[in-house]
Amino acid sequence: MEQQGRLHPISVATRDITDIFGRMGFGVAYGPELEDEHHNFTGLNVPADHPARDMQDTFWIKDRPEYVLRTHTTNTTIRELEKMAKNGETEKRMIIPGKVFRNEATDMTHEAQFYQYDGFAVGPIGTVTLAHLKGTWKRFYKEYFGHDVEIRFRPSYFPFTEPSVEIDLWFETPGKEGRWLEMFGAGMLHPNVLRNAGLDPEKVQGFAFGPGLERVLMVKYSVPDIRLFHSGDIRFVYGFDEKKI
Amino acid sequence: MKISRNWLQKFFEKPLPDTEAINTALTFHAFEIEECESDLMDVKVLSNRAADCLCHRGIATELSAILDIPLKSDPLRDSLPAFSETTELSVQIEDPKKCLRYMGALVKGIKVDPSPDWLREALESVGQRSINNIVDATNYVMLNIGQPLHAFDAKKITQKNNQYAIGVRNAEEGEKITVLSGEEYAVPASVPFITDANANIALAIAGVKGGTAAEITEATTDLIVESANFDGTTVRRSAQVLKLVTEASLRFQNRPSPELCAYGMRDVLALIQEIASGEVVGITDVYPTQSSSSPVSTSLQRINDLLGSDFSKEEVAGVFKRLALPYTEVNSVFTITPPFERTDLVIPEDLAEEVGRILGYDRVPATELPPIAVEPNQARYRGIEKVKDFLIERGFTEISTQSFAKKGDVYLANPLDKTKPALRKDLKENMQEALVKAKQYAPLVLAPNQKPKLFEIGTVFTKEGEKLAVETSEPVSDLPEIKDDQNYIPQKYELGAYKPFSAYPFIVRDIAFWIPAEGVDNSLLSEQYFDEVWQKEMQSSDIVIKRLFMDRFPKDGRVSMAYRLIFQSFGRTLTDDEVNGIMQKITTELTSQGYEVR
Repeated sequence: MEQQGRLHPISVATRDITDIFGRMGFGVAYGPELEDEHHNFTGLNVPADHPARDMQDTFWIKDRPEYVLRTHTTNTTIRELEKMAKNGETEKRMIIPGKVFRNEATDMTHEAQFYQYDGFAVGPIGTVTLAHLKGTWKRFYKEYFGHDVEIRFRPSYFPFTEPSVEIDLWFETPGKEGRWLEMFGAGMLHPNVLRNAGLDPEKVQGFAFGPGLERVLMVKYSVPDIRLFHSGDIRFVYGFDEKKI
Repeated sequence: MKISRNWLQKFFEKPLPDTEAINTALTFHAFEIEECESDLMDVKVLSNRAADCLCHRGIATELSAILDIPLKSDPLRDSLPAFSETTELSVQIEDPKKCLRYMGALVKGIKVDPSPDWLREALESVGQRSINNIVDATNYVMLNIGQPLHAFDAKKITQKNNQYAIGVRNAEEGEKITVLSGEEYAVPASVPFITDANANIALAIAGVKGGTAAEITEATTDLIVESANFDGTTVRRSAQVLKLVTEASLRFQNRPSPELCAYGMRDVLALIQEIASGEVVGITDVYPTQSSSSPVSTSLQRINDLLGSDFSKEEVAGVFKRLALPYTEVNSVFTITPPFERTDLVIPEDLAEEVGRILGYDRVPATELPPIAVEPNQARYRGIEKVKDFLIERGFTEISTQSFAKKGDVYLANPLDKTKPALRKDLKENMQEALVKAKQYAPLVLAPNQKPKLFEIGTVFTKEGEKLAVETSEPVSDLPEIKDDQNYIPQKYELGAYKPFSAYPFIVRDIAFWIPAEGVDNSLLSEQYFDEVWQKEMQSSDIVIKRLFMDRFPKDGRVSMAYRLIFQSFGRTLTDDEVNGIMQKITTELTSQGYEVR
């Protein structure tokens, strides 16, 4: 019988992540990588010429001045919220795995293209809170790493969430001292974002988060260089022992 | 923003804790600290707080709230003097949308000197260079309360009818200015200048940088001091188009309140008079539209509903007190009147954030989401993974490649890699490249008889729009299409720790030998012996030898074994001679034990 091929570690991880979030009631959504300015920025409460646009170096499309390569999969969050408003739903949870782009110099920890798995949970007022964001991520990491973890929040700022936080993870590798790792930003969806999607912020609220996929893989499997992931090099894919479970 | 602990201490009676403790307080309740050494902290002020916290006063008020220690006094709450007006200075603003306020002060009879030690040391403690008492006074006040300031040499500005005239107007296209650091800029028409209106000469790039035309020198005796507020968007565009980001432009682009101008003017004039003497002739203040902040209301219930917390009314009130935010409370409804500098407090959620961060996010519990009524929709995802699993079963290995390409239907306006300015319109080119490399690396990762077969599923960008494409390195006649499938369960894998590969070339050698005949079936033992030989060889060098089994067959009572050995170093390129030497050693070792190497 022919030998089996190998699944790319990004796909392996996406399946792990999707399973865990699936158990917490999250679906999976996809959206365009080439996005209009509204869904990538303006609708997310990042107006033109706002300093917050400097936070994400953007690739612009030639001869189409209002289009960009999405800088985050949050573009799909607002698209999903729009659907929610259209269908009159009051409750929704989604994760959005996909490629995003940043126009910045590359090195061992920075790539111009990488994967995110943004996500959101929205429900009636008081049902989806910052405490649920914490509970969701505590459970996620516990299931993903296979043991209890500690996470903590620090204040942050993103135009599309209020309040905004950074999420840190306490990570211990055998033989090494434990340390806090800065993982990603998150927060409670800004009422302007809900409003822009056609939802009523007096009736629904929710949280959103935007972790990078390569980052968590680099932590979990000790991958030294982010540029290996999308190099098309099979030595990288075969650098992991892959066991069916 | 570089912050000095000693400087912060000036705001407090009580001694502050050490830098480490301040670092922790700010990190968990306000801002991240990028660097921290002895007296100095590099505070990464969040952009929504850049309007009030890009200065020591801002950080001091944060610390006061977090550590619950009172400020000695707050320069922004101390009253303003009654500034006397003057007819000797006029200010004309061409577009009040670009310049929200312009305060100019005429000061006569100052003496330019080196700064006193305390001032020089304060500036140097945050990495600034001391220039002279006048320039230093403007920088000090900016770093202290956040208002950018500038001083012009009045005698270099034209007087008409005993009046200086400051203008704020757009540059004429290509109009030139030489800035204080010596570079000359040809400025596009969108950029506003500060001008000597009587002579129509550019004195400064508004909100960005001063020019040499009215530069302060040792001979300067009379000053026009500027404390102004320029529109954030305008300044941001000016700084971007001129590629000239300054302390002033960074502050203005975050829209500090125009109210701050008066406090900056009060402080800089007091300091100039203290260290350079002189007399303030008067002030001209053009402030077309007074800015004011609106009250924001929220309730205890709303705060706890958003944070999922169980904070009490007293705790919430305590936060507003510690932050010195004027508030009223009726039946657990709080109404805050934000002080002018807190331009970030606009909606109820902003107040919830203040409560959460000051009381501490460690007090927000971790609560699991309740079950959701509808089954989560994962049909599209499962449909995609199904096709991947199909290909994996057929021996294909998944790769991921870059979305940028040499040619395509869609091009980037600002590519990072100029050789790949387009977006891929299919996955073919990347697949071909990857396959060439995969064939080359096959001995390293695949079994000796396994041929590399690859696939990629990724987004491509065509004239018709973007779509998800499937590419395989060889045709698959029965390749299924991607279809939604909510019921498919993708195959899960457990991955081991990543084993890095060497970037250096590798050398392949095959070895085959007859195992000694004696014994009924000692082949297992013999294989172990061979294992020992090559493993010993590997340990004695910095070379990694990968061993792949190729073949095993019995003949005439003996057993033949064949292996492929792959030699590679993590630190250098191996030579054939070196590898031949190792092969020779392995052969000699085996022969001496009665193996017949073929």
